[in-house]
Amino acid sequence: MTLAPADAGQQQDGVRATVGVSGDGASLLRAQANRELKEGIKLKTPKFFKKLTASMNEIEEIIEEWQPEPLVPRMSKEKPAPSYNIVSGPPCHKITVNGKQCINFASFNFLGLLDNDRVKNQALQSLRKYGVGTCGPRGFYGTFDVHLELEDRLAKFMRTEEAIIYSYGFATIASAIPAYSKRGDIVFVDEAACFSIQKGLQASRSHIKYFRHNDMEDLERILKQQELEDQKNPRKARVTRRFIVVEGLYMNTGAICPLPELVKLKYKYKVRIFLEESLSFGVLGQHGRGVTEHFGVNIDDIDLISANMENSLASVGGFCCGRSFVIDHQRLSGQGYCFSASLPPMLASAAIEALNIMEEDQDIFRLLRDKCKLIHKELQGISGLKVVGESISPAFHLQLEQSSGSRESDVRILNRIVEYCMDRKIALTQAHYLEKEEKFLPPPSIRVVVTVEQTEEELEMAANLIKEAAQNILQ
Amino acid sequence: MNVGVAHSEVNPNTRIMNSRGIWLTYALGVGMLHIVLLSIPFFSVPVVWTLTNVIHNLVSKLDVRSRTRSQQTDRRAGRREGLLIVGSPMCLCFILQGMYVFLHAVKGTPFETPDQGKARLLTHWEQLDYGVQFTSSRKFFTISPIIIYFLASFYTKYDPTHCFINTASLLSVLIPKLPQLHGVRIFGINKY
Repeated sequence: MTLAPADAGQQQDGVRATVGVSGDGASLLRAQANRELKEGIKLKTPKFFKKLTASMNEIEEIIEEWQPEPLVPRMSKEKPAPSYNIVSGPPCHKITVNGKQCINFASFNFLGLLDNDRVKNQALQSLRKYGVGTCGPRGFYGTFDVHLELEDRLAKFMRTEEAIIYSYGFATIASAIPAYSKRGDIVFVDEAACFSIQKGLQASRSHIKYFRHNDMEDLERILKQQELEDQKNPRKARVTRRFIVVEGLYMNTGAICPLPELVKLKYKYKVRIFLEESLSFGVLGQHGRGVTEHFGVNIDDIDLISANMENSLASVGGFCCGRSFVIDHQRLSGQGYCFSASLPPMLASAAIEALNIMEEDQDIFRLLRDKCKLIHKELQGISGLKVVGESISPAFHLQLEQSSGSRESDVRILNRIVEYCMDRKIALTQAHYLEKEEKFLPPPSIRVVVTVEQTEEELEMAANLIKEAAQNILQ
Repeated sequence: MNVGVAHSEVNPNTRIMNSRGIWLTYALGVGMLHIVLLSIPFFSVPVVWTLTNVIHNLVSKLDVRSRTRSQQTDRRAGRREGLLIVGSPMCLCFILQGMYVFLHAVKGTPFETPDQGKARLLTHWEQLDYGVQFTSSRKFFTISPIIIYFLASFYTKYDPTHCFINTASLLSVLIPKLPQLHGVRIFGINKY
């Protein structure tokens, strides 16, 4: 008995659907529910029912008019989808981009260890012994003896008490900063800090204060401001932690941070220093120990050194080193350490072998710095392009001297220079950024990377080619 | 959240007082404290009830000075009414002060939380149930010092000195529980 009315109701709905009055199935059901509700209310409270039906009709209209937003926004014609240069084979000294073989001036393979036979053999042996992945975080059967050995070797190499390994270079400093700096703490950071530092700061929920790039007076100014505020509220100051986060060699500008002045400021204003050495590890210093060796600063003065092994060590992942008291804390609070699978053992073995090579052959660091100085000198004086970076920095930028007005047209001009060079067998790249996410977006630039494997002729060829490209395209 | 099970609670302090068996444990704990105090031969029964009340409300907030002061009042009271009402009113105060210290004085969590220290400046009472007022565990912890107060005032035969101390101790524990005082730090005490 009860089926017949329901059927009739559904038949009516079916008719309405074919006519096309109501929308899809959800609004059909909603309309049905509304109707039943109305009938119920009509019986009980007629006056209220009249008011209610009016508003319910309005609601129904709004529901029927609603169109969902598209999941994927429509592409505008001006900004086509990014096209990638496809690399076949290893990105070592001679790289095959889009089918053309070029000399690699774009990968961060500073010491040429990417294609090194010893490193590759060690990795293969490790692959045969352990397999490919670890299938577990460090706390969950993901700690192998190679991890412990690599941590030990890195600690000994950097002459610190302990080191800790992360499986992803970006996540290293992005996990280290929130492990120490929490809500209510203050972090003083350089404007040109790289993206992973910015994400780490965002995750830490602390108060962030930026100072101008490499400007110690600006840093001192904001430190003094903070000191005045602390004197006004000493009880609050006693519980806030203060940190300075700097990079040894900045990826966005190729500059070196003035570490001795930073250490002086550290002791004067009682702030902790976190040093990010991704580009300077294996590059600066007599033995490649980074910017602390370069300046002769005592490594115990720096509270935490973080680096990724994806540049000089030609492996994957990152490490943090420092005092045991500091590093041990990350074993439980480093989110990237506790909750990500550990580094694949073949990459850990490759890193150990790379460290062996770095310790045996100490000349490569000086050689790399000489080559950097050479190309830096050659590239001075190009009209239209200026070299941004220290003379001993192996990764420096070429920016347009005069911007053409909009970032997009600058990017297109630099792209033409890059394509010109790639057609003539020099592989360059532009520095890409997530433009909407960066706090202080650097101007568009071509990032040139110098490696130990490049010969002086190749360096000179590259310099001449860039000059030619600048002349043809920018004039 | 039940203690000892896997949970996704970012700050376990918020849910611990809703755990299975915690109210019973709490009541039994207060009972144990009372039995321990009863077994000390120097204190009489009224005294012991006062003791239970006070210790419950304040634990370790007492420093050495006040302890010696309490011994003096002991002796005076003992001379006045024999050995019936001996023992410091601090006893009951003691119990209540335990609650004060752990719920209203100590801030933050004894463990690290993945929310980057959101509750660092909040006392445990303010953290309970994420700040939602009038939940069942909040009601339980508001009512329990009142029950102990009733028992204490009955057993001390409504003696004025004991009554004064017990009432003061009860107020010190009830007033911070008011929803109007959520997050309020009077005179900036205990702010950071």
